[in-house]
Amino acid sequence: MPKHYRPAGKKKEGNAAKYITRSKAVKYLQISLQNFRKLCILKGIHPHEPKKKVEGTHKTYYLMKDIAFLAHEPILEKLRDIRAYDKKVKKARVKKNEERAKRLLTRRPSYTLDRVIKERYPKFIDALRDLDDCLTMVHLFAALPSMDTEKLAVQRVHNCRRLSHEWQAYISRTHSLRKTFISVKGIYYQAEVEGQKITWLTPHSLQQIVTDDVDFNVMLTFLEFYENLLAFINFKLYHSINVKYPPILDSRLEALAADLYALSRYFAASSRSQAVESADPNLAIQENAAIEDKDTRNDESELRLAQLQHQLPANEPGTLMQLVEEAAGEDNDDEETKVCRALFKDLKFFLGREVPRESLLFIIPAFGGVVSWEGDGAPYEETDKSITHQIVDRPSQKHSFFSRDYVQPQWIFDCVNARIILPTDDYLVGRVPPPHLSPFVENEAEGYAPDYAKTIKHLQAASRKEIMPLTGVDKQDLEDSQSLLVEGIISRTEATEAAERKRKMAILEKQYHDELKMELKGVPYTTSKSISNETDMQSPAETTNGKEELLNVLPDPDPDPDQIAKDASSMSTLVMSRRKRRLYEAMQIGKERKEAHTNLLKQRKKKAESSKKSA
Amino acid sequence: MRVANGLVLGDSAKEEMEETKNNDDNVKKNELNHKQGVDDEEPRNLVLNAASNLEEATLDGEAETNQRVEESDSSEDEVAPRNTVGDVPLKWYKDEEHIGYDITGKKIKKQARKDMLDSFLAGVDNSKNWRKIYDEYNDEEVELTKQETGLIRRLLKGKTPHEEVDPYAPYVDWFVWDDAKHPLSNAPEPKRRFIPSKWENKKVVELVRAIRRGDIKLDKPKEESRLYLLWGDDSSSAEKAPGINYIPAPKPKLAGHEESYNPSVEYIPTKEEIDSYKQMYEEDRPKFIPRRFESLRNVPAYENAIKESFDRCLDLYLCPRTRKKRVNIDPESLKPKLPSRKDLKPYPSKCYFEYKGHKDAVRSISVEPSGQWLASGSNDGTVRIWEVETGRCIRIWEVGEGVQCVAWNPMTGLTILAVAVGSDVLLLNTGIGDDEEQDKIKKLLHVEATSVANHSDHNASLVDWLQHDKYEGIRMRFLKTVTSVEWHRKGDYFSTVMPGGDSRGILIHLLSKKLTQKFSFKQHGIPVATKFHPSRSYIFIATKKAVRVYDLLKQKLMRKLEPSLREVSSIAVHPSGDNVIVGSREGKLCWFDMDLSPQPYRKLECHPKDITNVAFHQSYPLFASCSEDSTSYVFHGMVYSDLNQNPLIVPLEILRGHAATNGRGVLDCAFHPRQPWLFTAGSDSVIKLYCH
Repeated sequence: MPKHYRPAGKKKEGNAAKYITRSKAVKYLQISLQNFRKLCILKGIHPHEPKKKVEGTHKTYYLMKDIAFLAHEPILEKLRDIRAYDKKVKKARVKKNEERAKRLLTRRPSYTLDRVIKERYPKFIDALRDLDDCLTMVHLFAALPSMDTEKLAVQRVHNCRRLSHEWQAYISRTHSLRKTFISVKGIYYQAEVEGQKITWLTPHSLQQIVTDDVDFNVMLTFLEFYENLLAFINFKLYHSINVKYPPILDSRLEALAADLYALSRYFAASSRSQAVESADPNLAIQENAAIEDKDTRNDESELRLAQLQHQLPANEPGTLMQLVEEAAGEDNDDEETKVCRALFKDLKFFLGREVPRESLLFIIPAFGGVVSWEGDGAPYEETDKSITHQIVDRPSQKHSFFSRDYVQPQWIFDCVNARIILPTDDYLVGRVPPPHLSPFVENEAEGYAPDYAKTIKHLQAASRKEIMPLTGVDKQDLEDSQSLLVEGIISRTEATEAAERKRKMAILEKQYHDELKMELKGVPYTTSKSISNETDMQSPAETTNGKEELLNVLPDPDPDPDQIAKDASSMSTLVMSRRKRRLYEAMQIGKERKEAHTNLLKQRKKKAESSKKSA
Repeated sequence: MRVANGLVLGDSAKEEMEETKNNDDNVKKNELNHKQGVDDEEPRNLVLNAASNLEEATLDGEAETNQRVEESDSSEDEVAPRNTVGDVPLKWYKDEEHIGYDITGKKIKKQARKDMLDSFLAGVDNSKNWRKIYDEYNDEEVELTKQETGLIRRLLKGKTPHEEVDPYAPYVDWFVWDDAKHPLSNAPEPKRRFIPSKWENKKVVELVRAIRRGDIKLDKPKEESRLYLLWGDDSSSAEKAPGINYIPAPKPKLAGHEESYNPSVEYIPTKEEIDSYKQMYEEDRPKFIPRRFESLRNVPAYENAIKESFDRCLDLYLCPRTRKKRVNIDPESLKPKLPSRKDLKPYPSKCYFEYKGHKDAVRSISVEPSGQWLASGSNDGTVRIWEVETGRCIRIWEVGEGVQCVAWNPMTGLTILAVAVGSDVLLLNTGIGDDEEQDKIKKLLHVEATSVANHSDHNASLVDWLQHDKYEGIRMRFLKTVTSVEWHRKGDYFSTVMPGGDSRGILIHLLSKKLTQKFSFKQHGIPVATKFHPSRSYIFIATKKAVRVYDLLKQKLMRKLEPSLREVSSIAVHPSGDNVIVGSREGKLCWFDMDLSPQPYRKLECHPKDITNVAFHQSYPLFASCSEDSTSYVFHGMVYSDLNQNPLIVPLEILRGHAATNGRGVLDCAFHPRQPWLFTAGSDSVIKLYCH
């Protein structure tokens, strides 16, 4: 009897009973593959890797328990209803019974996901923990154009926008934004809500490039779940700060929420055309035309825009934010929140037309600043005397006020990450700003810190010292001469190191020269060391005693410190158990990879510096 | 009933009230009658009642009206109306002077019309005005009593007029079923009771059609917000996260410096590096190439945004998730705590001496038991004897071929050197020692021709014992190449290994009698080396795969050790005899504790290349291995007499210094018999002495 034979009537056991392949699961649930996928996405069920793949290695396995769990899902029944309903509609259409089809269309079966959400995230904290993907996705779809071909309706895009704005409003209001980072992929934000670090990525507010090599059905199913999840989370968060949810916006405010959207699209088109214009004006025009085409195709959004134009004069800034702002004022914030709230406390900002307004309107209030922009509905004009900083992103500023600093938007992001007000010298209009560094990297752990990170660190230290009475440095000094200060701080620690290094170098160099000389004489390097001392002893002995061999009394060979260290480590690995040794070796590999990476960086830096010097 | 009572009120409320009241009265009466058990008299009684009502009405007249209302419960107080025109429209009398006729047939005159103003003023003054009702039928004003208003109020609320009436009182079945034999009706339940009504159905269909046509408009259900406080009270919910097996998806990696729109220069790869990426396999190729933008306005939309989001979605619902244990510890903490090397001194650590003179790789070395002399055999066809202390070469034999093995006789004073050269084994008199010893040696090394003849027929096929023609000693001729020679501790027997010799691979020779005998056990595989037990009559035979221990006296297999190595190259036995080390060609060293198990107690992967030889020190707890990677390791190997305690193995030193020639490193190693010194013979034709 073969080993795998199972007598009739005997239950399956082990992996064969515990796991089920996907095709079998679909058959078991009696639904289509699409619906199975949808159900899996909504319920958060993923394949498992069995220890033994009974049905073959190239198959996807699900836990039988999970599938049984799906079989009892009410949504499954609803999906079947929807299928039947779709058939009815189709049949009516085919039979030219438009009236019936129309009537049916008003009664599409629907389902709610609140129960599923509660089931997947029994506690609020669980939901927050899993929010990263949700936010990234919602923010992405908020920036996408609606597509008829992909069944992405305008309402969904608007819903995404609304949800993302609501979330941002909450974060901004509670000052829980912690880190921001402009990457090529978009802008990363990290907030801390109820002790959970939540990171999300928002695309640059430009016309997004829609690729056709993705399955939008899958993404829209995810989005469906995420929209619901975020709505419930927003509800809970708003409830926690005693604000009614959904926020009741009058039409005026609502139009403004859309205003940001529409304007950002306009900006996307205009700023892009600006950027391209210098290279090829024709192209820019074409592009504009293309964008406009898209707009005209999209009736609904145009309608919205028209409505907007109508209402623009009455607009007021930061509708949602203000709404949230009103219901506020608890003082039980933790230390970091206090720091964040006070960062831009007495500063007044003004945004130019060309800067990413949406992002800055979110960040600056989150850190306690006051902000206005160029355009209708702005709280104050550009001519306002109390403005301290104007954010501009253009090659040169023609008209400027002396009372304010004209800085590039990166300054805001860097200040936020460093938690101090950085000197604005490097960020002024027309200059290439210093490198923008990721706040998510632990430089110490990585083993390599870029120069600017060190500078920022020193500045932070300086600002901390400033508060303490011990400091002897003038305040004015601190702000003005950053480089001087930095040097001062560096010097003490590094001077000693440098001296040490120099001494070692000198020794090594001498040794190297000696060896070179020896090599010229024709002594092979490996033996030269050991022989060098005996050569003179040997030659006379050879003359006296031709037949007898020589005694070679060796002096203490200079122990190579590297070799000794290596030997010591290799010897201790020798007696480790095999498992531990493998683990150790694996760790060593990771370490080496990291080191190689930092070495590469250092090398590149050196090269860049040398080329700069030569240039 | 209304006709019978003849009461018509202008006010509809009043009318209703009256009606119900009368109904009530009758019901009550009926009940009373039931109680008295006069069922058959009921109809008559009712008639009587009506008659009496009429009579009373005529007798009492209009004066009784108020009283009647007050005592409405008694039927005797019922007052008939003054007017007797009956149920005719009152407008017929509109133009008349009278409103009707009383019971005697006299006209009832209309009362004089009151001035509206007067009546209003009167009403204003009188607080009870609201109670007054004008009775058009009788042409009079009636003032309602408190009870009556109470009744009206209750009626307006839809309650029974009298508070004490319970409309839902439990039904009392007064019929007595006791003696009844048959049901009232024995007919079966008709079918219509079971089927839905056809007409009802028709009506429903009609309605449905009307709704569909749009004749009947239904209100659309209001779009209610589906949102509510889903996580209302977290503290009370004892629900756990979904299952123990639930694995949350790992978070996407956070962006590093290189993803910045404006990274520092060192993060941007050079052009050559970017070009080199194209040469790489697609999987190895970095997915993201850092770029630098001069300012934020130049940054375009990210082309892969949707694709990456989609990939993440796929990961979330298609990837099997498993928990991987990631140890986040300092790798140094994994290393075992070893006793300090300083405590384990003395051990050979530094190269102290070099013995030079051989022209080719030194294959084998052996130290004389007193520790004064060192013999070495080389590929250049010479055997040399060195003085250990001074490094002087005192004797050289040219043996023609490359020397495989040299071995000193272990008896002190019996300075015979066995040398394996090609298919010969030479037993050489080294000429060391005083005359007495020399005599003894010479006697031993003398082969008589007769003895050769005697044994030749017996041993012809095995070995020929001959006197060496050039040097003082014996030459033994074998059939195949001999790789190793091993003396017994008493210095009389010795064994030779001939890997190509099949059943004659291992031969044991007796020097004093010039005898050779085959090893009497079946040979398993190609023999590599033999070792005699240091105290017992055991022999260790190492083949390529296993080590077997035989008792030579009892003539039986004692033990089989399985190193599970690819190819055993060398073996050494601890002076106590219970521990064995085996070196292999894959660079692994196995320590066997023979009391413990036939499996190795410890396997040390110390060398990356073949181990050529292993050696134990005679007195110090030291052992060493040498390898073709031109290093040799020195270990501390302490064996305790307590059987419960496992041997302690500590690596002490890696000895370097030999240069690799022809891809071979150190070829042999041997400990000094008394000092903690190690001799190593290298393929670079140098012998080194490592001292403590």
